[in-house]
Amino acid sequence: MSLVTTLLDFLPEILLLAGALLVFLVDALGLRRIEVVGSIAVVTILLALLFVFADLGFAPVAFLAAIPPGQIDVFPPAGSTPLYWFTSLGLFFQTFFLLAAFLVALASMSRPSRERGAAVFYGLILLATLGMMLVAVASDLIFLLIAIEVVSIPSYLLVAYTRRDTRSMEAAMKFFIVGALSTVLSFFGASFLYGAYGTTNLFVLASGSAIANGAAGGGGFPLLVVIGYSLLIAGLAFKITLVPFHAWAVDVYDGAPDDVSAFLAGGTKKIGLFAFFLVFLGPVLFAKVAFQWFGGIGPVSFGPVLQVLLSILAVVTMSVGNVLALMQKSMKRMLAYSSISQAGYMLIGVAIGTAPALTGASLQVFAHVFMKSGAFLVVAAAAGLGVGPLIADWRGLGQKRPWLSAAFALMLLSLAGMPLTVGFVSKFVLFSAAIEAQGYFVWLAVAGLLNSALSVFYYGRVLKVIYFDSPAAAPAVPAPEGASPAASGAAAGPDHTPTAPLALGGLGYARAATIAIVAIVIVVLGIYPGPLLQPLAAAAQHFIRLGL
Amino acid sequence: MTSLSIVGFVGLSTALLAISTFGILTRRNFILLLISIEIGMNAAILDFLYFAAFPTGSHYFDGLQGQSIAIVLIGLAATEVAVGLAIVLALNRLKGSINVAEASSLRE
Amino acid sequence: MSLEELAFLVLALVAVATAVLALFVRELVHTILWIGVFFVDLAAIYFLIDAPFLGVLQLGVYAGAVTILLLFGIMVTRKRIFSREAITGIGALPTALAVAMFVFLALVVGEFPGSEQPVAAYSVTDLSRALFSTFGVYLLLLGLVMLGALAGAIYLVREGRE
Repeated sequence: MSLVTTLLDFLPEILLLAGALLVFLVDALGLRRIEVVGSIAVVTILLALLFVFADLGFAPVAFLAAIPPGQIDVFPPAGSTPLYWFTSLGLFFQTFFLLAAFLVALASMSRPSRERGAAVFYGLILLATLGMMLVAVASDLIFLLIAIEVVSIPSYLLVAYTRRDTRSMEAAMKFFIVGALSTVLSFFGASFLYGAYGTTNLFVLASGSAIANGAAGGGGFPLLVVIGYSLLIAGLAFKITLVPFHAWAVDVYDGAPDDVSAFLAGGTKKIGLFAFFLVFLGPVLFAKVAFQWFGGIGPVSFGPVLQVLLSILAVVTMSVGNVLALMQKSMKRMLAYSSISQAGYMLIGVAIGTAPALTGASLQVFAHVFMKSGAFLVVAAAAGLGVGPLIADWRGLGQKRPWLSAAFALMLLSLAGMPLTVGFVSKFVLFSAAIEAQGYFVWLAVAGLLNSALSVFYYGRVLKVIYFDSPAAAPAVPAPEGASPAASGAAAGPDHTPTAPLALGGLGYARAATIAIVAIVIVVLGIYPGPLLQPLAAAAQHFIRLGL
Repeated sequence: MTSLSIVGFVGLSTALLAISTFGILTRRNFILLLISIEIGMNAAILDFLYFAAFPTGSHYFDGLQGQSIAIVLIGLAATEVAVGLAIVLALNRLKGSINVAEASSLRE
Repeated sequence: MSLEELAFLVLALVAVATAVLALFVRELVHTILWIGVFFVDLAAIYFLIDAPFLGVLQLGVYAGAVTILLLFGIMVTRKRIFSREAITGIGALPTALAVAMFVFLALVVGEFPGSEQPVAAYSVTDLSRALFSTFGVYLLLLGLVMLGALAGAIYLVREGRE
C-alpha cells in the first residue's frame, strides 16, 4: 500500500490537521480576531463532515468519497492484522464527533472578538476532533489508546486555556492527573493482552480467544487476559466517567470554561464509549476464554462474567449520577452529574451486545451530543447575560428570555426522555433492545426506566425555577460585561477587553444560531427518526458481524 | 543470547504499577504526582519489552511490535511530563503553590 | 542461579527500592536523584533482555531529559530549592488498594512456567524497519499528540502581554 492511497483514506482527518495548522499560522501572523480563526475552524469541520458523509455513501455527495464504494463494511482478509479499519458505524461516530465540534466551534464565535487564546482554543478543538475521528477507525488496541491520547492532551490544555482563571486551572490539573492515571492503567492492561496474544490487533483479541486458552500450542494464559481486560475497564471507565471512576468529571466540567465543558461533555467523553465497543464487544460476544479460579472454581467463561460486570457498572453509574444530580445547587454541576448518568445508559448497549442494543447506544450518543452540548452552550450564553452559576439564579428567565428558555427547556425535556424528542427515541430503542434480549437484561431496562423517572424530578425542578418562580427581587443585577470574569468563565473571558454588546440582546448571532440548530434537530429527529435510525441499525449489524 | 525466567519480570512490573497507583492516590505535591505517573508508564514499557523478549506461543506474535510500542510509549510519557509541567508552571504563577491539596476552589 | 538471573534480581530490587524512596524522601531534590537512579536501573534491565536500543533511548529520554525537566520544574516553582516537603499521611485506604492491586496482578505470575526461557533478540535494523513501516502509524499518532502538547504548552507557559 503506497503512502498516497493510505493518506487518501484519511482525507477528513488531514483536513482537520490542515485546519489546525492554518489556525496556528494565522495566529502567528497576527490575525488574532476570533471571527477569523473561528470561521477557519467551522469551515474545516464542515468540509470534513462533507467527506465523511461522502464516505458513508450519502447520495448527493457520494462522488467525493475518498474511500471507494464497497470498501466500507468489508471484512479484513483472514490472518491480516490491520491497525485501522473503516466501518460504517465508525464513520457514523465520526459524524457525531464532528457535529459536537461544529456546535462548539460555531457557538464560540460569539465570544469577545479580541479574546486571548482564541487561536489556541480553536487549534486544540480541531486537533482533539482529529483524535476522536481516529478513535472511530481503530482496529488495534495501541492505535486506539494513542488516538485517545491525541484527544486527551488537547483537552487538558483546553480546560486550562483561560490562563488567568484559578478555577479552570485547578480543573485542568485534576483532569491531567486523572487522565494520566487512566493512561497508565490502560497501557498496562494492553501490555498484558499483548503478552497473552502476541499482538494487539482487536480482531485477534476479539475472536482469537482460543489462543489464550492454549489451543495454538502456547501454554495459554487466561489470567493474563482477564487481568488485562480488568485494567482496561478501569482505564477506559475514567474516560467515559463510569461511577467508581467518575469523581473528577464534575469538578472538571464545573471548573472548565463553559464552551469547553460543552465540548468535553458532548464530544470527547464519547470516545470512551466507542473504545468500549471496540475492546469489549468481542469478549462479550465470543466469550471463549475460560479461566480457573485459584480455589478450583470453574472453569468460568469470561464473556458472561464481563456482561454481568458491565451491567452492574451501567446500573450503578446511572443511579448514582441521577441521585447526586438531584442534590446539586449549581447548574453546571447538575448537568455534569446528569452527563455521568447518561454514560450509564450508553453502557447498557455494550453489556447486552446485540445489534439493536448497539443501535440504541449509538443513537443515545447522537442525542447526547446535541442535548448536552446544547445545554452547556445555553449555560454559557446565560453566563454572558449575567445569570449566576446557581440554579436559583435562573429564576424568572422564562419571562425575560422566552426563546432561550424554551430552547433550554426542550434540551432538558429531551435529556429526561420526553416523547417527541430525540432523547425519547434513543432511550426507547435502547430499552426495548434490553427487553428483547431477555434474561436479566430486562432488569437493565427497568433500572433505566426508573432512572429516567428520577431524572424528570431534577430537570422539572429547573423548569419550575425558570418558568414559575418570580424573578428575584433584583439581586443587584450584575453588569453583563466584565463584572464577574472569574465566575462566568469563558463567556466573559479572563483576558477580555471591553467589547461592544453582542447582537440579539447579548447572545450573539453565532451562539443563537447554534442553539436554534440544536433545538430543531432535537424536535425533527424526535418526530421523524427513520432516516437516521435505519442506516445506523444496518451499521450496527455489520459491526457485530465484523467480530470486533 | 541470555536466558531468564519470566516470572520475576511480571512481579517487578506489577510492583511498580502498585507503587505508581499508591503515589497518585496519596501524594499531594504535583512533582511527586508526575513522578508516580512516570513510574507507572515505565512499568508498562517494561511489560511490553519483556513480552516481546519472551514469546508466549501465539502464532500472531510479533516481537518487533512490542519494541515499537515501547519506543512510542517513551515518547508519549515524556510528552505527558511536558504538559503536566506546563500546567504546573501556569498554576504556580497564579497561586504560588503546586500543592494539589491547596487547590480546593472547586468545592462547593 | 545463573549470572543473568542474579543481575536481574539485584536490578529489580534496586528498581523497587528507588521507586519507593523517590516517593518517600522528604526533600524533593532527593526525589529527583532517586528517580534518576530508577531510570538508569531500568535501562540496565533493558540491556539485560537484549533490547539495547531501548536501553539507550531510556538513558537519553528518561535519565537525561525527563529528570532534568522535573528538576527544572522544582527550580522555577520554588524560592529555595532545598526545602522539606510535609509528607501527607500514608492513608490506609490507598495503601490497601495498592496492595490489593499488587496481589491481584501478581496472580498472573502463577500462570507462567518457572523454567528458563531464551530471550529473543532483535536487530536495530529490523526494529527501525518495523517502526517506520508496519507500525509507522503509531509514530504518526505520536506526532499528533506532540503537536497538541506543543501548541497548548507554549501558550500556557508564555507570559501573557496584557
